[in-house]
Amino acid sequence: MSAAAAIPDYNAKSDEDFRSEVRAFVEREYPPQLRFILQRARWHEMKGWWGKLYAKGWIAPNWPREDGGMGLDAGKMLIYMEEFERHGCARPPDQGITQVGPLILRFGTPAQKAWYLPRTLSGECIWCQGYSEPNAGSDLASLQTAAVIDGDDFVINGQKIWTSLADDATHIYLLVRTDKSAKKQQGISFLLVDMKTPGIQLRPIVNLAGHGEFCQVFFDNVRVPRNTLLGQMNDGWTVAKALLGFERLGIGSPRRPQYALRRLEAVARAKGLLEDPGFSDRFIALKLDIEDGAALYGRFVEQVKRGEPLGQDVSMLKIWTMETWQRLTELLIEAGAEQGVVAGVQDVAGVETDFLNPFYYSRPATIYGGSSEIQRNILAKYVLKLPS
Amino acid sequence: MTHDPAGNMEHRGQLADSVADFAARGTDIARVRKLRGTAAEYDRAIWKKMAELGWLGILVPDQHGGLGLGLTEMAIVARGLARGLAPEPLTATAVLSATALVAAENEALKREQLPRLVSGQVLPALAWQEEAGALDPAAVRCTAVAFEGGYKLSGTKRFISGSGQADAFLVTARAGEAVVLLWVPRDTAGARLSLETLADGRAFGTLELKDALVPKAHVAASGAAATAALALAFDHANAIVAAELAGVMDRALEMSVEYLKTRVQFGKPIGSFQALQHRAVDLHIHREVANAVLEESLATLDLRPAAAARAAAASRVKARCADAALKITREAIQLHGGIGFTDDYDAGLYLKRAMTLAAWLGGATWHRRRYAQLTKGATT
Repeated sequence: MSAAAAIPDYNAKSDEDFRSEVRAFVEREYPPQLRFILQRARWHEMKGWWGKLYAKGWIAPNWPREDGGMGLDAGKMLIYMEEFERHGCARPPDQGITQVGPLILRFGTPAQKAWYLPRTLSGECIWCQGYSEPNAGSDLASLQTAAVIDGDDFVINGQKIWTSLADDATHIYLLVRTDKSAKKQQGISFLLVDMKTPGIQLRPIVNLAGHGEFCQVFFDNVRVPRNTLLGQMNDGWTVAKALLGFERLGIGSPRRPQYALRRLEAVARAKGLLEDPGFSDRFIALKLDIEDGAALYGRFVEQVKRGEPLGQDVSMLKIWTMETWQRLTELLIEAGAEQGVVAGVQDVAGVETDFLNPFYYSRPATIYGGSSEIQRNILAKYVLKLPS
Repeated sequence: MTHDPAGNMEHRGQLADSVADFAARGTDIARVRKLRGTAAEYDRAIWKKMAELGWLGILVPDQHGGLGLGLTEMAIVARGLARGLAPEPLTATAVLSATALVAAENEALKREQLPRLVSGQVLPALAWQEEAGALDPAAVRCTAVAFEGGYKLSGTKRFISGSGQADAFLVTARAGEAVVLLWVPRDTAGARLSLETLADGRAFGTLELKDALVPKAHVAASGAAATAALALAFDHANAIVAAELAGVMDRALEMSVEYLKTRVQFGKPIGSFQALQHRAVDLHIHREVANAVLEESLATLDLRPAAAARAAAASRVKARCADAALKITREAIQLHGGIGFTDDYDAGLYLKRAMTLAAWLGGATWHRRRYAQLTKGATT
């Protein structure tokens, strides 16, 4: 890749230098109207920002430099993430960078790498994830969407659901059943599918916040070539499982609840609620839940910086962060009283506040990325080693 | 997070080893049970062994016979001992009293008493509180009236931890406008100690003082120096109480998880039931959050921050560890079922220790409120 030579070795820089470089860049280049937005950003909003990151060679911090990434080590990667979060940068439709890209790097054929990777970096390929199905949520391995070999093609039939931003995506990475006789996890394959393929239909789903962020995706005799298979036939579960850990550290970052806490504090101050002992006790307990959760996050961060892999115990971080975030948004609604249930931005003694969206957007946080209950199952089994 | 000098790590490793060895051979729950509700409260022979191991001098500078280490080291010992519910007053004496005395002004008194405290010869208890829930070291009603170069001391001190076999008390009193900190041997005429048994079988002492004479040589500190010494002792003791609470939760959670794995009902270990698994996981998460806060707070406190930051760190860790330990030990009873409610089974001992530690030197709500006051407008 031609860009590789131009990308400097960021790991050779000091943490301080790298941090100020990232900070200066996001402060200068990130679109101000998209700071700290709650809903998933759409491609038409993020296209310009993507282009700037791509031009600078910063779109894929986690990819190796020779493949067009920044090749950041864990410590630098955290700084990159922290600075983006600190500035309130929204996630672009980045599943190609964070999810399927690394999988293609690891499992792809030379031809797949040569075709998909540069296009994923440039934003020509925007990916969405086709994992969940109406009858395969937490129990993902029971998925039924099937791909049958017919000559040089797979023919796909079935449906996927909760596919975030599918209507922005050009490609979908799919888990499909390719062997119905095999045991659950073993008859699944991983496919890379062009969304323009005939037979694919989308139905947007409106969420509680009134936004159509995710879709149901229907596959009706969708015919794709066999070279869309990533990894080995019937080995898709291994491919999909190869990505964990770092993702779960990101998902347990205390930034979102910290931001929500600042909003709550501003409202409480404006309304004089901090002088109310009942409110104040609840507020300080939540504030400490967030700060103390940040201490827990800090321990996992240190582990990553030491180069140690994250274990199953990182599940506790997502549970704590997301459940605390939810409680905070509940108190925010309560603090707003009647205004707390009025749609849109409200003026609270001069403080502009959106009460409902934080509440809505914290709801699925304990559902996506492995529900809180699934995370607890994981901790019970692998950390406490309780019997099944 | 900074790297510890190799010397610190070595101390910590050695301390952890000696605590583990002591917990395995020096104490057991049968001993703890025997001492419950007795006037002795704890065992001076065991106290002497703890002194020989150097633990009583961890926070005392070396010129006074101590090791001059930090709270992180003291926490290792306190946590390990609390795991085995040792009733000896490590925090009350080797943290609360020792810190107040180390920070005091009377160098002659320090030269005399600190080495004896470190060697276990003298066991002083800090008698500063007068009313339940009143935790301001300056809110003192006991009076010290000037008399022949010293003071005549009158009033009542309550909730004195470690007083069962205390040889002396560090007593606060009001001398005019100023608070004074005085060294009062137990056998001083006009001083009378009585004990109230606590939930966990240890005791709070009540010290009644009627014209007790304190010579000038026993004035440890006066005025701002006295209240500053008390405030420091209070904060550091709370951090070590938090470490004790961590030791209590470690063992209580371990017992509960072991029980879930072995207790069979409906033909299965009860730990296979999801309702119980999720409860146990929540307790584990609370313990890990408490651990993270404890580690961070001890490191902060060992950097000796200014008073407000120190108080905030101490309150934060006490509040977190108190709530986590109470939750874990209460649920330990529920997870054990009927056996958990019996006195024969140890789960109840852990609950009761958690309760007394949580209530001593300020409960979680009190500390959260203080934290709120100290960090007003400082949300990051």
